[in-house]
Amino acid sequence: MPRLETLELTITTGQRGLNRTPGYAINSHEIQFDTVQGGTGSGETLEATGSPQSFPHSLTLTGPDEGFWDIAHIAVTLHAGGAPYTVHLGAVTLDSESKLNLWYERPPVLLDV
Amino acid sequence: MRTWFAKQVQDAQPVPSVVESPAQGLAVAPDKIKAHTPRRMVYAPVLAGASADTEGSTIRIKAQLDLDGAQIVFMIDRPVLGGYSYYTSDRASAAEYSPLAAVLLEQSGVKSVLIHEMNVTLAFNALSDASAESIARQCGQTIRAHLESGHAVMADAFLANMPSEDVIRDGLQGAIDDEINPGIAGHSGEITITAIVGNTAYIKMGGGCQGCAASGITLRHGVDQSFRRAVPQLGALLDETDHSAGSNPFFTELPAEMSA
Repeated sequence: MPRLETLELTITTGQRGLNRTPGYAINSHEIQFDTVQGGTGSGETLEATGSPQSFPHSLTLTGPDEGFWDIAHIAVTLHAGGAPYTVHLGAVTLDSESKLNLWYERPPVLLDV
Repeated sequence: MRTWFAKQVQDAQPVPSVVESPAQGLAVAPDKIKAHTPRRMVYAPVLAGASADTEGSTIRIKAQLDLDGAQIVFMIDRPVLGGYSYYTSDRASAAEYSPLAAVLLEQSGVKSVLIHEMNVTLAFNALSDASAESIARQCGQTIRAHLESGHAVMADAFLANMPSEDVIRDGLQGAIDDEINPGIAGHSGEITITAIVGNTAYIKMGGGCQGCAASGITLRHGVDQSFRRAVPQLGALLDETDHSAGSNPFFTELPAEMSA
């Protein structure tokens, strides 16, 4: 398992917004982002960075405390040894009982042979 | 000669009786950490490029390179071996049981062959960044040529000498009871068989093995080798453990001497 130094998130909110800065958690420890730009209102885009500097058994984006948060798209860029890599995630809705998985191993190199 | 597990017993450190604070080891300022509220994990769909066209008679093969693990997984657009799986690192065995494996073991640097459903996995002694792509293309062409020629993947002797699932399970359970679990008990770990399908074994790694940074090493160098000594006809060995749910892994970080 590689050590995750930093992550960068670009979150595009769908219909129902969070309307505040979300938190994230590594290995179930909730952490604040280092930097945040933009917003999580309906249709808004938020750019956030974090520096967990740990070995991620789990890495999650925390859902709202109440109501729903419709996420239209997330781009997760992970700096976990070697060149950073980006995983694009599609639409998902979070609620007060859910958290979104953000940890993905480096995508394998695929060739048509 | 000491087995891998015997060394683990001798080298094992005592497991702490008190679980350390989960916040220890995190290189994050304490004022950025909040109390944890349990939530269920959800997954968003991972967006990827369009998949390859699989129509037509041409056999299409994708190669997935794993430089760290020194292996290449060839994903073929049709079943290669259904119901069973076949593993070998021995040319004599391949010559007897699998014409496809025999051809692949002739390729430069190939250490072992695993044939399972639509996949063929080749392990190498080493796989460098510079050579991996050309090796993948060469081996892919070999697989395609073999399949398109109509030559058999497996020989008739393969199934003729296949033990029943019950016999395979008993053999593997014996290895777990006699060698594997005693070896990893020092790390509070345990291995359980969850299913035997044909000659494919599905296992879970529990206790200190679940989420352990060294679990892959234990699987490859310990469990896999013990199982194959106990049941030579064992095909694929698949780990079904949810390692992200491990609550007390023995190693949260791979020790330097193990990563070398």
